[in-house]
Amino acid sequence: MRHPSDGTLRRLVDEPAGVPDADREHVAACPGCLSGLAAAQRDATLTGAALDVELTSDVDAGWRRLASTIAADGRRRSAAAHPARRWRAALRSPVVAAVAVAALLAGASAAAAANWLEIFRTERVAAVTLSRADLVALPDLSGYGTLAVTHQPNVREVTGEAAARQVTGLPVPRVGKLPRGVTGAPTYQIGDRVEAVFTFSAEQAARTAAAAGEPLPPPPAGLDGSRFRLVAGPGLAAVWSEARGVPALIVARAVAPTAYSSGAPFDTARDYLLSLPGLPEDVAAQLRHFSADGTTLPLPVAADQLTSRPVDVGGNPATLLTARDGTMAGVVWADDGQITAVAGSISADEVLTVARELRWSR
Amino acid sequence: MAVSTPGRRAPVRADLEQVFRTAYARVVAVAARVLGSREEAEDVAQEVFLTFGRSGVPAGEAPAWLSVAAAHTALNHLRSGRRRASRERVAGAADPVSPDIADAVVTLDERRRVRVALARLPRRQALALVLRHSGLSYAEVATALGLSPGSVGTVVRRAESALHKELSHHASPE
Repeated sequence: MRHPSDGTLRRLVDEPAGVPDADREHVAACPGCLSGLAAAQRDATLTGAALDVELTSDVDAGWRRLASTIAADGRRRSAAAHPARRWRAALRSPVVAAVAVAALLAGASAAAAANWLEIFRTERVAAVTLSRADLVALPDLSGYGTLAVTHQPNVREVTGEAAARQVTGLPVPRVGKLPRGVTGAPTYQIGDRVEAVFTFSAEQAARTAAAAGEPLPPPPAGLDGSRFRLVAGPGLAAVWSEARGVPALIVARAVAPTAYSSGAPFDTARDYLLSLPGLPEDVAAQLRHFSADGTTLPLPVAADQLTSRPVDVGGNPATLLTARDGTMAGVVWADDGQITAVAGSISADEVLTVARELRWSR
Repeated sequence: MAVSTPGRRAPVRADLEQVFRTAYARVVAVAARVLGSREEAEDVAQEVFLTFGRSGVPAGEAPAWLSVAAAHTALNHLRSGRRRASRERVAGAADPVSPDIADAVVTLDERRRVRVALARLPRRQALALVLRHSGLSYAEVATALGLSPGSVGTVVRRAESALHKELSHHASPE
């Protein structure tokens, strides 16, 4: 018969019950295998001696230390890094405002209906590159009118995948094989549907233009006071954390943003707003290009920190983002009215493998 | 709740203290096999239990999960260069059990070389090695690392062989 493998000889050293009888009988009668077994035994003993450290651990002291860390961590998190507060801060940031502007203005239909009309539906995601200077120059959405958030996302952790699925009505991701360095079970974060209404104000736009030192081009008739409704979510995320609390891997899915209007000629409005002073010309040009069909969600990318390239995930066009310093990678795509993102402190190849092998349980 | 966490939404699991008291010594031991230092192993154990406390890992899977997390985290420490060599030196100098200063030096040097060798191993080999030497069965190591039970022996054998070479390569002639 064939000689058992080195792995089988190794198992004979410390778990012989796991080795088939036939292999054991062979080894007992085979000088070559016996010598291999002796070598395996020698290396195992040597390694054991080298690795073993004699120690006594003080469980009570360890527990006191952990309890105080948890208490301090709770205070710190609730003060500084509360998810809902982070989200609200994000809504105020210029980058998110730019996405919101783009989504709001992306509609190509020139409807002037009294009722809410769908003007934008996410079917694709594309990267819009911004330089650091662009980021600084971008005006807040409040520079063009009033933004009222009518439904808060209330991002929170839930007890498990069943709860995440039940509350959001979304399928829960199943990652077949975790990338190297990512272990354990994920925690689940969910967010409710977000709804915001933006009312365009010619007066505020004029003030923003004045602050930028340029006169406001005359707004098209009917735009002043026009309302736009942006809806997104609910969403859920499975988060695998490293022991230091840094997310090692996040798989998130949300109902993709959709925008509605209460009546304004959108192609005109979009072109008008994108020409306002304050929005850098190259950014405006990209947004104009991407939002032309009313189905592509622009994803702002800081060019000095990230590179982006188009990829394919399960037949859907996707955007792969890689940090220039190699610390993280992520991929985003839209499919059937939902946006999915896979990101983590892993390589671009690993991110793509996870994304392409994702299964969803409903 | 075992621990009060004012103002915090994400709850700390109710069984944390019970699991901690049962598994702490084992988690420290796993990390110490990687790091060769009790002080650092205790730091790693704190990180591991902190993550576990906020996780939804089923209680029945906690022992294996904690061992794997301890090995991973300790290897991260080992490789990230966050270790302080001075710590080891201080610990060595204060080592009261060494009867002979020459013995102590040899032990310290060997310990250091084992850790260097461990850091050089492919991650999966290092994990399999540490977990098996920490008492996880072949089947448990296989589950934790996504290996077939048959290949655990091969991976462990390779790691031990590499470690042996590393140590005998550096061993000074008698």
